[in-house]
Amino acid sequence: MSEAVIHEEHHDHHPTGIKRWLFTTNHKDIGTLYLCFSLLMFFVGGAMALVIRAELFEPGLQFVQPQFFNSMTTLHGLVMIFGAIMPGLVGFANWLIPMMIGAPDMALPRMNNWSFWILPFAFTLLLGTLLMPGGGPAGGWTMYPPLMLQTGDAFPFVIFAVHMMGISSVMGAINIIATIFNMRAPGMTFMRLPLFVWTWVITAFLLIAAMPVLAGAVTMLLTDKFFGTSFFNAAGGGDPVMYQHVFWFFGHPEVYIMILPAFGIISQIIPTFSRKPLFGYESMVYATAAIAFLSFFVWAHHMFTVGMPLVGELFFMYSTMLIAVPTGVKVFNWVATMWKGSMTFETPMLFAVAFVVLFTIGGFSGLMLAMAPADFQYQDTYFVVAHFHYVLVTGSAFAMMGGAYYWLPKWTGHMYDETLGKWHFWLSAISVNVLYFPMHFLGLAGMPRRIPDYNVQFTGWNQVATVGGFIFGFSQLLFVYLVIKCIRGGAKATDNVWEGAHGLEWTLPSPPPYHSFTTPPQVTDATAHS
Amino acid sequence: MDPDPRRDDEEQRAKKIRRTAIVLGIVALLFYFGFIFSHFWVG
Repeated sequence: MSEAVIHEEHHDHHPTGIKRWLFTTNHKDIGTLYLCFSLLMFFVGGAMALVIRAELFEPGLQFVQPQFFNSMTTLHGLVMIFGAIMPGLVGFANWLIPMMIGAPDMALPRMNNWSFWILPFAFTLLLGTLLMPGGGPAGGWTMYPPLMLQTGDAFPFVIFAVHMMGISSVMGAINIIATIFNMRAPGMTFMRLPLFVWTWVITAFLLIAAMPVLAGAVTMLLTDKFFGTSFFNAAGGGDPVMYQHVFWFFGHPEVYIMILPAFGIISQIIPTFSRKPLFGYESMVYATAAIAFLSFFVWAHHMFTVGMPLVGELFFMYSTMLIAVPTGVKVFNWVATMWKGSMTFETPMLFAVAFVVLFTIGGFSGLMLAMAPADFQYQDTYFVVAHFHYVLVTGSAFAMMGGAYYWLPKWTGHMYDETLGKWHFWLSAISVNVLYFPMHFLGLAGMPRRIPDYNVQFTGWNQVATVGGFIFGFSQLLFVYLVIKCIRGGAKATDNVWEGAHGLEWTLPSPPPYHSFTTPPQVTDATAHS
Repeated sequence: MDPDPRRDDEEQRAKKIRRTAIVLGIVALLFYFGFIFSHFWVG
């Protein structure tokens, strides 16, 4: 153990009990809070998904009323995007960025605490709307007017909750940029940064550019409802379609906010278990930046059917297809990294390989949706639902699962149960396809999304999807059990944990000291990224 | 008394961190209010 670490442990004083978590400014504690919150929200959003799938098991109304069903689809989307995926990835960023760049902590630790603690209040407010007169929001997670303006008492609470989520994200992004720009160890040049850190720099800029747009859009909804403005009210000279443009100007970069850090996690895992350096490191960085840049020029592919000039449809069709190029570079590089590598298939690698295959399926269905004439057929069908769940569940969520298994021994100091991990992976990988793949068929056959009832010819595949959904949902309890078991004990993890792992986080003890690097390490090519 | 060079480094870094955070915060606020107020001119 280095002198710096011994010195640090000597001064390792921090509050204990509830005060430790409420007042913490430590990046690891805040990372743990984010990850626990994200897992909780996965189960809250997942429970809503099971209500949706249970209702759709048979045509007709079984369990819930249409209004409540619509609240479930709306809140499921908001909770999973803003409560589960984004905070989960910020949790990874908090835990790993200081350790990866050789810093003692995040640059703005008190703001870090505030960024996290806003979230429980925001989601209590959001979920509390279910108990209000008129029920929860039911206009879809996109909150399109005029439908959203028909929400009952819940409306201003939803808008306030979305603002708080936005403030939390922007503060988190500022902290990440300030940390990476100012806290790197000597020798840690930008082109030596681990890919995960690179993807987060770019994502943080996306957040700062995109989140204020969402906040602006929902503020305008609020003033339309309560202060007599007519931004989106046609009767007052406004335009409801303008909301859709503004929303998707935020919404498409948001998709990349949720997937770029996932790319970063996968780019750390694959080289380790292939025992080879990442193929095409520089092209990976440029591809990530290109995806982020292009994400601001594709928004109207979400709204081809609302009516726009032909030249607009062509522009957004081609710009969307252009994103397939840098994304293809990434997929090619992951496969090339594995090519002729000494591969082993521990649980993190299984999730990473599944990510590459299944995310690519989501990417290809995205290309199908990008074609304007074809999109007129697919718009608002289950094909779209299948597409974005392949991107966000087998993409972002699988990457986070893989990342959790990969760094869990480093975080806890114990190895996880590999047999249980493999059970969790195979149950998840099989059931997730049983859940989402049939939705492609349903969508192509014309089943609309966001409906509690459907024509009888859709029954068969809906029943298959529901069975898959329940198996997938309950399989995740295995993950919770595995994590608790790993925290409580198990075989002692070594500092390097994985044979093929490279990077500064693996030079620290497992678990790492309270402050990661009090004496900055000297970074060379040999100790930089894998 | 000679100044401690490490302390100077720390102060410089703290200054840079503050500057980065303030600039990014202002950019975010400009986007927010800019987006809202630009809509008064649309249509």
